[in-house]
Amino acid sequence: MAAKRRSRGESLTLRYAVLGAWALFCVAPVLWFLSIGLRPRVEIITPQPIYWPTFSLDAWHMIWEDWPMAKYLRNSVAAIFGSVLIDLVLAIPAAYSLSRYTYRGRDDIGFYILSTRMMAPAIVAVPIFFLFKNLGLLDTIWALMLIYAAINLSFVTWIIRSYMLDIPRELEDAARTDGASDLRILWEIVIPAVLPGIITAAVIAMIFAINEFLFTLLIASTPDAYTMSVALANFTGGSDGVIYNAIALVAFLAFTPVFLVVVAIQRHLSRGLTMGAVKG
Amino acid sequence: MARIELSGIQKRWGDNFGVRNVDIDIADEEFIVFLGPSGCGKTTTMRMIAGLEDPSDGEIRMNGELMNDIDARDRDVAMVFQGYALYPNMSVFENIRFPLRMRGIPRARHGELVREAAELVELTDFLDRKPAALSGGQRQRAALARAIVRQPQAFLMDEPLSNLDAKLRQAMRVQIKRIQRELKITTVYVTHDQIEAMTLADRIAIMQSGEIQQIGTPDEIYNAPANTFVAGFIGSPPMNLVDGVLEGGVFRSPGIEVAGLPEQRGGQVALGIRPEDCSIDGDSEQAQGDSAPHLTGAVYGVEPTGDLTYVTLRVSGKLFEVKAHRNYRAALDSEASVRFDLERVHFFESKSGSRLQIG
Ligand SMILES: Nc1ncnc2c1ncn2[C@@H]1O[C@H](COP(=O)(O)OP(=O)(O)O)[C@@H](O)[C@H]1O
Ligand SMILES: [Mg+2]
Repeated sequence: MAAKRRSRGESLTLRYAVLGAWALFCVAPVLWFLSIGLRPRVEIITPQPIYWPTFSLDAWHMIWEDWPMAKYLRNSVAAIFGSVLIDLVLAIPAAYSLSRYTYRGRDDIGFYILSTRMMAPAIVAVPIFFLFKNLGLLDTIWALMLIYAAINLSFVTWIIRSYMLDIPRELEDAARTDGASDLRILWEIVIPAVLPGIITAAVIAMIFAINEFLFTLLIASTPDAYTMSVALANFTGGSDGVIYNAIALVAFLAFTPVFLVVVAIQRHLSRGLTMGAVKG
Repeated sequence: MARIELSGIQKRWGDNFGVRNVDIDIADEEFIVFLGPSGCGKTTTMRMIAGLEDPSDGEIRMNGELMNDIDARDRDVAMVFQGYALYPNMSVFENIRFPLRMRGIPRARHGELVREAAELVELTDFLDRKPAALSGGQRQRAALARAIVRQPQAFLMDEPLSNLDAKLRQAMRVQIKRIQRELKITTVYVTHDQIEAMTLADRIAIMQSGEIQQIGTPDEIYNAPANTFVAGFIGSPPMNLVDGVLEGGVFRSPGIEVAGLPEQRGGQVALGIRPEDCSIDGDSEQAQGDSAPHLTGAVYGVEPTGDLTYVTLRVSGKLFEVKAHRNYRAALDSEASVRFDLERVHFFESKSGSRLQIG
């Protein structure tokens, strides 16, 4: 008995050790980033090792005062939230239709929606550029909104659909005999029931949108439409050389909101990511 | 409230029949129970009445009006589902109120109507809770209240008690019957539990493989089963069925001989006799005949239940059930003789299984 208990204790210690090491491995670079962001520039490029870094808000002031960081942030937020909103408005009814009605070609449509995600984005980069050029939308956040929405629409639809498949059919039948129309059922029964799925899909879409780089770079040619991700890339160039501390700070700022959201919904997130695989 | 007629109703999925040729005329205010084993088409029939499933053939009428093309939400029937189907995001109050909102009943009356329905099922203390915070019995009541609240043309209940434990089931059964009598609303009730069917129903429709085998009052079904399926399905334990030959007023089968029957019929038949219509020799409380016993066999098992004793006999390799007085005991493998109440002996055609009218 005692031996058994001890062995369980040992394996617990081991488990914590492994998990702790993994956590350190994941978190260390992030903390390193933060520490770089909060040090003076000279200290970062010095060849001597420094054990006790100096705290400095140089980079912090620089990014807000010398660059239109607030504007980039605003662009990011607008483009991302706008795109997620577009996705939800389109994906929820589409998912409902795919999960609930039977009609000819339904499964093909479902597959088509998913297949838009299967090609390399670079393939459509040039056509997309001309498309937005002709629409007069180059260098606007509207274009970013649309392009992010288009990129994410397929899996947002797919995730929400898989949650909808899990709703017991009886629930909708009950609502129907209670006198509810299809739209009512969608609005009052189905959407509340798949809310975790909707939130998950929205967050994943946000993460993808935040990290989107290729199309953003293509469409945003001036700071008018720069987002955080492109602004970050632009830091590397310039007459001042590479400004590591500012880059690190901006990267950290771009990372933090995503991190917090993911922590908040991680329980749903893993389900959302495996969803399409489980429920064909 | 509503008379419901089904005529020639069928439901096919490809080549498979879910429901076949169902004809039934359900009277206004009647409590009808569809009884049958799992998969016999009870739910499908009910869903067709609700409008959740379209019949492949046949007509459904309510109060004479053809309902086939009328959408579920316009049929004004309320359904109680096996899994309750409470809306998980709404409180019990909102659940019960939902049909009122959907049917455009003036808001001012909602509170009062919901409270009345909740009172009827004794759920007033739980109106603020979400369904997840209710026990099975309370969920059942909430589902019932949601059906009651708008006083529909008909109630449809699909095995509403099957998820409850035995004690609660009995309590709810009485309550459902009481409520139905008070509200006088036509009720179609589906179950595979014969006790529920017998106790609740004005009439029972017994189904097997998508077809109705017999429609009748519980007494009719118990006293004059239309065929061997019904005979073997109703009663606990069910009716004993013995294959044999009827000739010249005498039924014979190994270990069994019953004389004194009317002589006009004959041939291969199955004799049916309920365990409660048999008396076993040596059972002090039951009448002892002077004539020869009808059946002799070896005692296979004795099961006292408290209020009576089940005795199982083995007669030429087949088991035969008798209900004896609670004090009856017998050694295993001892010989026992049984007499039948000849008034209550049933005969069925061996081939088709359908009831033979004798005498
Ligand atoms: N959607 C469906 N598609 C194909 N077959 C079905 C469907 N629904 C029910 N069935 C079949 O119809 C028969 C009757 O089912 P059901 O009415 O649910 O039985 P019960 O409620 O009496 O247990 C079963 O054999 C079942 O497999
Ligand atoms: Mg069923």
